[in-house]
Amino acid sequence: MPKRIILGISQRRAFRKLVENSRDRLYRMAYAWTHDPHLADDMVQQAMFKALSNQKQLKDLGAAEAWLFRILSNCLKDYYRAKRDVVSSENVVIADEVTPEQNTEKQQLVDKVRRAVRKLPLAQCQVVTLVDLEGFTYASVAEILEIPVGTVMSRLCRGRRALKEHLIDVGTAMAPRRPATLKRVK
Amino acid sequence: MKKDEHFSEEQLNAFVDGELDPEEKSRLYNESAHSPELDLRLCQLRKLKELVRHAYDDVPPAKRPGGPALRRSGPFGGVLVAGILLAVGATAGYFGQGLISKAPAAKPAPTAQALEQTGNYLLHIVSGDPEQMQSALAHAKYLLDSADEGEYRRVEIVANERGLDLLRSDVTSFAEEIRTLQENDVVFYACARSIQRLEEKGVKVILVPNIQQDYTALDRVVMRMQDGWKYEKI
Repeated sequence: MPKRIILGISQRRAFRKLVENSRDRLYRMAYAWTHDPHLADDMVQQAMFKALSNQKQLKDLGAAEAWLFRILSNCLKDYYRAKRDVVSSENVVIADEVTPEQNTEKQQLVDKVRRAVRKLPLAQCQVVTLVDLEGFTYASVAEILEIPVGTVMSRLCRGRRALKEHLIDVGTAMAPRRPATLKRVK
Repeated sequence: MKKDEHFSEEQLNAFVDGELDPEEKSRLYNESAHSPELDLRLCQLRKLKELVRHAYDDVPPAKRPGGPALRRSGPFGGVLVAGILLAVGATAGYFGQGLISKAPAAKPAPTAQALEQTGNYLLHIVSGDPEQMQSALAHAKYLLDSADEGEYRRVEIVANERGLDLLRSDVTSFAEEIRTLQENDVVFYACARSIQRLEEKGVKVILVPNIQQDYTALDRVVMRMQDGWKYEKI
């Protein structure tokens, strides 16, 4: 049986703070996986509840972020298992909803990318978004999704290949011919 | 054979993700300097990463009836709920009399430090079984009665699913017990989403007086657990 190191009071407090501070990032990830604000909100609440209920299982506060995303992933897995009796998320594809036509160029681009991400099987979508949105290392993604690093790499390849087919012309068309507007640079 | 065929797709992905080891990275840099095709592939991968990030910079918030998502106002935000009087002090007399005594006078709010150290409880009722409900109410009373002298102890009860029946004035058998506990500063919360679901089925939901609502029971549970409260599901 693995040795359990229980977090002290100050670490527990820090953990609770971290959970709260991670809410927006968890929500963004849940949204990227489901493209359903309501479901994403539910998943985040479930994940936060499970994290707080099981914080004694956390051995190292430094590993808390990856642990939170792992719980979120498991919540989604449980949801689909209950909903569709699907054991593996490998082949789950999120329904491609038609969104209202947007006017702005930015929104059109955002919608196009989201549609392409939504077409990915969930397993590929999760890897792509964990790497691209959160900047997790391959090793962390492997830990979060409980899969080997090699599987992370192959899913990432397949996911990006599919995205490239849908999106790379977008990037080319978007090539700016005017000076770039940078984010705030200090 | 093209030079960039020396590199697999996985290696190129690892390169743009900063996962390639330094030696391979140098080799790839060198080759890309002489191979426009390889350079283009790398450029496309970087562009893809940026597009995905850009697409989720701003995600739509969850639609919650009655206001935005539950947010906390600060390190102990939400702990001091307006209108709630703390059952502190006067514990000897008050707890000696149990729930029959009248509500204690309001005391100054405790410090954040004091709140962190207290054994506050959130009881979560999901069962529609009257025996379970009665047991939950008795447990709330016990928790108040068993607080140490001078201890800041607060108890909240949140109900959802079938447990909502506890708080429905036309269904509950415990209106009097609820009122008594309220007089002793136990705060009751109903899950607004459970109410919404019932109303969608055509059930008119009328709650007993002075019941607060949270969008979901889990909202309240998560918030209180973050405050360090003890949580019990009944």
